[in-house]
Amino acid sequence: MQPVTHRRTRYRDRGTALLFLLPSLLGLTVFLIIPLGASLLLSFSNWQMMGETHFVGVANYIRLVSADPIFWKVFRVTVVYTVEYLFLNVTISLAMAVWIGSLSWGRQLFRLVFFLPTFTPLVGVALVWLLMLTPGGVIEWGFASLGIPMPNLITEPAYALQAVIIVSLWSHFGYNMLLFGAALESIPATYTDAAAIDGASAWQRFWKIRLPLISPSLFFGTVLTAITSLQAFDQVYALTRGGPGAATTTLGYAIYSQGFVSYRLGYASSIAWVLFAVIMLLTAFQLRMQKRWVHYDV
Amino acid sequence: MLSWLRTALSSALFAALIVPVWMATSAQAEPVRLTWLMWSGSEPEVVAWKHVAALVTQKYPDITVEFQTTSFPDYWTKLPTLAASGKLPDIVSLQSLRAPGFAGLMEPLDARIKADKFDIDSFEPSIFKGLARDGKQFALPYDFGPLVLFYNHDMFVKDGLPVPKPGWTEADFNNAAKALTKNGAYGFAISEPEAFLAFARSKGARYLDDKGELDLTNAGLKAAFTQYAALVSQQKVAPLFPASGMLSSAVANGRFTSGNVAMYVDGPWQLINVKKKANFTVGVASIPAREAGSLTLTAGSGFGIATTSKNKDAAWKAIQVMTGPDAEKYLADAGRAFSARKDFQKNWYDVAAQDVVGAREAIAAALINAAPLATTPNWSVVSALFIQYAPLAYVGSDTPAHVLDTIQNLASQ
Repeated sequence: MQPVTHRRTRYRDRGTALLFLLPSLLGLTVFLIIPLGASLLLSFSNWQMMGETHFVGVANYIRLVSADPIFWKVFRVTVVYTVEYLFLNVTISLAMAVWIGSLSWGRQLFRLVFFLPTFTPLVGVALVWLLMLTPGGVIEWGFASLGIPMPNLITEPAYALQAVIIVSLWSHFGYNMLLFGAALESIPATYTDAAAIDGASAWQRFWKIRLPLISPSLFFGTVLTAITSLQAFDQVYALTRGGPGAATTTLGYAIYSQGFVSYRLGYASSIAWVLFAVIMLLTAFQLRMQKRWVHYDV
Repeated sequence: MLSWLRTALSSALFAALIVPVWMATSAQAEPVRLTWLMWSGSEPEVVAWKHVAALVTQKYPDITVEFQTTSFPDYWTKLPTLAASGKLPDIVSLQSLRAPGFAGLMEPLDARIKADKFDIDSFEPSIFKGLARDGKQFALPYDFGPLVLFYNHDMFVKDGLPVPKPGWTEADFNNAAKALTKNGAYGFAISEPEAFLAFARSKGARYLDDKGELDLTNAGLKAAFTQYAALVSQQKVAPLFPASGMLSSAVANGRFTSGNVAMYVDGPWQLINVKKKANFTVGVASIPAREAGSLTLTAGSGFGIATTSKNKDAAWKAIQVMTGPDAEKYLADAGRAFSARKDFQKNWYDVAAQDVVGAREAIAAALINAAPLATTPNWSVVSALFIQYAPLAYVGSDTPAHVLDTIQNLASQ
């Protein structure tokens, strides 16, 4: 008799658990799993919004890597953007967090000021930057007034990506700065005090004690920043529309462009899945590498 | 006797008063609410289109037209998205340049035109044809017009330069552009692809081959684009615009109306915005004559019925009103449309452009040799590629000829 009752209770518990999970499970299915599945199916079709749709197998993927005249350029632009932006974002936000942490007054004020752009809509921000960066705009005028010979950042293909990176950094570094700042503040002063008594310099205390202790936050910030920078779209859309030429066309913008300018939704879906695979691989690599430099035990 | 008479009179009165009311009520159709998607670029345009929608209800009280709008570039993203999700509006707006790509979303109107003996002769034939595809009519036109040159009359007069007139040449244009480029202002503002194609046609170049396929790589067009790009990259008489996704004609329009640019190319439909924003005397002239003459291109737009509409009969009634005499007169007076109806073209000249120098002569001269701007089904892609890649030629980081090769290559993918 005992085991039967136990089983019944277990089933009843499972049913109750499922009932509690149902709202989020439904949301997950409707808004994530079904669209993901649909997008995967679309990537094997030639759906163009208008006209007939056919199953084309892996033709979209083959064309993408072997026949598309700009895919590899777009891929390169995305990688350059991600590497440069990730490095600068983490470095600047960490440096700012350390600097603000060392201030004796105004910490909260500076944190708020530098965090403000993070919750300002990027499209609006990019439009203001566009006005400043445009030929004859404030920035060009500023450099000219100082006598610094400077090419226009958004019309020169060699520099346009730098303009996108500057706008992205201005807009987003505040988030990591806040994250790293909070982690730095949570380090007990006794650790650094003890090291100072033992004769460790400020530089050594930073590299050997504070940095390893905030490594979990550093890891979290790096992974999230890498993912969002690989998906870069809105700043490109508002600032350059991928131009001049394909100088600032990221994979995120290429998906939009193929889907909603050329109306090749099937092909755009295949780019989306390539991007998904790249993000998965990079994140898996980062998770694997964390064992070497992330310290969870204090 | 009296009581009988009173009863009879009362009954007659009842019949006289009530029966017509009842009959009218029973004859009135069920109210229909139609949706209509149309592009617009400014508040005056929105006001104009809402007025046009109200004209439908004025004529057919049981029909209401709900006006929905978006910017011109976004319209061509939104329309196929709505089509894909089965949410097309009842009334679809169509530009002649995009007719090859989007006519498939719309109901052929030929049977209705024939059944109602709709008077197509009162329309300009070229734009009526411009909204047809494979011999079927997909929209009724409300406007059309040749691309012409808008100029800042005050700047020309101030500098003592001869004012542009029909028949003026490329040399006159170059001289004026050079002379007016000073003190941070520019003589001209480039835009593409349409304005460039009008310049190229005047040079004798073509952009479509005999089969109507895109042909951007022929030597004539490359030479024309090299010359056009040099206005920015070498002569520096036109400002450089970044590839920001805004239509270059819209950027040029903004610079022109703010008084920063002396000349730019656009269609007569822009007069509503130019008049509202410019605080100087505006002039209109034909495209400067080149080797082949002054040969401009015409474009126009109209309204049709979505294939998915559940109220096609009401939509047919509505688009007849929206392109009817009252609407055409109103749009021409406001400067939003050089009317597709021949009778109301004079309203654009006499009312909207009454303060504009040379408008009548310029349009009349332009129409003599104008040809409809023929396009390919993927014209939205071609247009977007021009916006994205042409700046490479203007900034000088790529040759104009190679830019055309790239656009041709990417557009053919």
